[in-house]
Amino acid sequence: MRQRAMWSAVLVVGLALAGCGSASDSGKATSSDSKLVVWDWKSGEAFAKSYLDKAKADFKKKHPDVTVEFVAQPFDQYYTLLGAAIQAGKGPDVMLFNGGGQIRDRVDALVPITDYVAEDKQRLAGWEAFTKDGKVYAGPVTLQGYPIYYNKEVYRKAGLDPATPAATWDKFVADCAAIAKAGAKCFALGNKEGVGIQFWISSLGSTTLTPQEYDAWIAGKRDWNSANVKRLFQTWKEAGDKKMNSDGANSTAMFNDSFAYFQSGKAAHVMGLMSDVGHWKDFNEFLTPEQLGVMKAPVVTAGTTPSMPYDGGIGYAVAKWTKDPKVAADLVRSLTSADALKAFYADAGAIAADTTIDVSQGGPAVSTIVGELKSGKPALHVALSSKTIDLMGRLSQQLLSGSITVDEVVKQLAASDQAG
Amino acid sequence: MRLYPLILGVNFSFTGDGAQNGTAVGFGNYRELFDDPLFRTALSNVGLLVLLLPVAVAIPGLLATFIYLKVPGHRFYRSVYFFPAVLSPVIVGAIFNLLLAFDGPLNATLGSFGVSPVDWLGDPDLAMVIVAGVHIWATFGMSLVVFLAGFATLDAALLDAARMDGASLRQVIRHVIIPSLSRTIQFVFVTTMIGMLTSMFGLLYVMTTGGPEGSTYLPEYYIWIQQGQMNRPALASAASTILFVIMLVVGLLQVKLLDARGRRTDVPGPSGMVVGRHPHVTARAGDDLPAAVHRQRRDEDAA
Repeated sequence: MRQRAMWSAVLVVGLALAGCGSASDSGKATSSDSKLVVWDWKSGEAFAKSYLDKAKADFKKKHPDVTVEFVAQPFDQYYTLLGAAIQAGKGPDVMLFNGGGQIRDRVDALVPITDYVAEDKQRLAGWEAFTKDGKVYAGPVTLQGYPIYYNKEVYRKAGLDPATPAATWDKFVADCAAIAKAGAKCFALGNKEGVGIQFWISSLGSTTLTPQEYDAWIAGKRDWNSANVKRLFQTWKEAGDKKMNSDGANSTAMFNDSFAYFQSGKAAHVMGLMSDVGHWKDFNEFLTPEQLGVMKAPVVTAGTTPSMPYDGGIGYAVAKWTKDPKVAADLVRSLTSADALKAFYADAGAIAADTTIDVSQGGPAVSTIVGELKSGKPALHVALSSKTIDLMGRLSQQLLSGSITVDEVVKQLAASDQAG
Repeated sequence: MRLYPLILGVNFSFTGDGAQNGTAVGFGNYRELFDDPLFRTALSNVGLLVLLLPVAVAIPGLLATFIYLKVPGHRFYRSVYFFPAVLSPVIVGAIFNLLLAFDGPLNATLGSFGVSPVDWLGDPDLAMVIVAGVHIWATFGMSLVVFLAGFATLDAALLDAARMDGASLRQVIRHVIIPSLSRTIQFVFVTTMIGMLTSMFGLLYVMTTGGPEGSTYLPEYYIWIQQGQMNRPALASAASTILFVIMLVVGLLQVKLLDARGRRTDVPGPSGMVVGRHPHVTARAGDDLPAAVHRQRRDEDAA
């Protein structure tokens, strides 16, 4: 027995001292010359068919001898599977990423494609979410933003003018009181996954932080002690305390229970998305384009101007272990070509990264969104690390349940933000 | 071949993540884990599950007893109790998400009695107990079958004898059924424990995603988040190693307990019958004697 214990101790100490090998990535080439493997979570969907056909045709013109295989992975397992591939150092040549933390945390496994995509720089928007330390790692396919949608019908029932939603926070809170009297909630909120707060700080960021604070936040110089940063979380708490949110927000899934709540007319507003789900095209299932409005964020801090928060939504990146990064980057360019993206917009209802696409047929909501892209800025939460976002989700739930103060929240977030 | 991946995992746990990928960091990951309140919550939830274990074993045990004692409708209940065991945790989670939603049927029913709605899955003090309860609901059917199998080995003459003696239901359970089924009970304890610690991922994923406020994290879910969402494979390896050690310790303790109990239950039980490893040796001569003699005999045995 003693001998066994000794051997175990020796093994543990030995491993602790040695700690050799690595838990991720070793980078071996695996692809053959004539085949590129692409991983994503979109290609299995019916709406992606014509998009992929167009992209493949474009790529075929450039590299007729290279075949492309798309492998659709389930989204809820995607980053786990990708993590395993990265650990093994073998996997797809090209892969789809969400912008922000998801790609920035994994750039070690990617090739910078800055030079390959230089020509597309002007035509496409949303590069920032796929950039780290000045290097571009993916070509943007869609834009993801956080507009505040409102139900004009609910406004009418509450005696409010749907053409002029509140421009200031105080007026907004007063409007919400009128909406409550009419029997609806102000916000449809799903914060079970802790995602609600991400949309909140991004939707209200431009009207809560000063432009200097906003730019500093995006640049990574975040002052968590600033009064306006605290205000972002105070308005969140205020909305909770004043019962402006749908009931049971901490146990309601944002995807798609809160969106369903909004669509059913039980709430006047929802902070939704531009692309993928919970967006203008989704809502049109139950709300006519005329009933659905997109409003500018109400001004919380005097002197600020609302702007649309958006970033690159999803984009294709090139793996470090691919044989010829140039060929793989060409595939990324085909996947972000104007024709392909036009098909993606039309079929999936996503706001494509190519802002030259004509959206005038899509209804007033989508026209408002696209119209505001020019003055838009990167979303606040996308600039945070996955770890800080995860923590923020949990703290936001505590704020709603009243078990933490705003001061404590910003203190913990500052510590997490500075640590990584 | 079996040990290599395990050792590799332990080895990874002593390396860093991200920029420190591949470099030795000693016990750095372990220190980080124990500094992380989320991981500590996950561990304390393991403790909570261990505390709930007797309940998880008692429910199928009691219900199996009722079925064995042929309460009215026992055939119907036997299949109904087993039914959830064939459902996948994802389906079970989805069903209970609907039932327990803030505006769901349970709160509506409570509301009709004038009880204000409860945020079952949104209250950090409640959520873990609720999810564990749903897990017990979903899985006790299997334990019930094991118990029923155990009952099949129980000699009906014993129960008849106890009844003749005028024993109440509680006395029958306490003095006849529990001692006779001690091996079965121990087996159910071990399997339920393993099930609780390793098979709740699906339910957590669907019902709470670790929330609210991180209150329903279990080590397994934590490992998945660190590996899949946070891109911290080395930290996840460290957490896996700790989970492995916990399972090993709990498993060994249970095996020990099982051994000790197994030996102890070979001796005659308080009501004068042999229980444990030889359930078929159930009665002894003189069982047909009047109750008074039995009582006297029991007193002698106890002395």
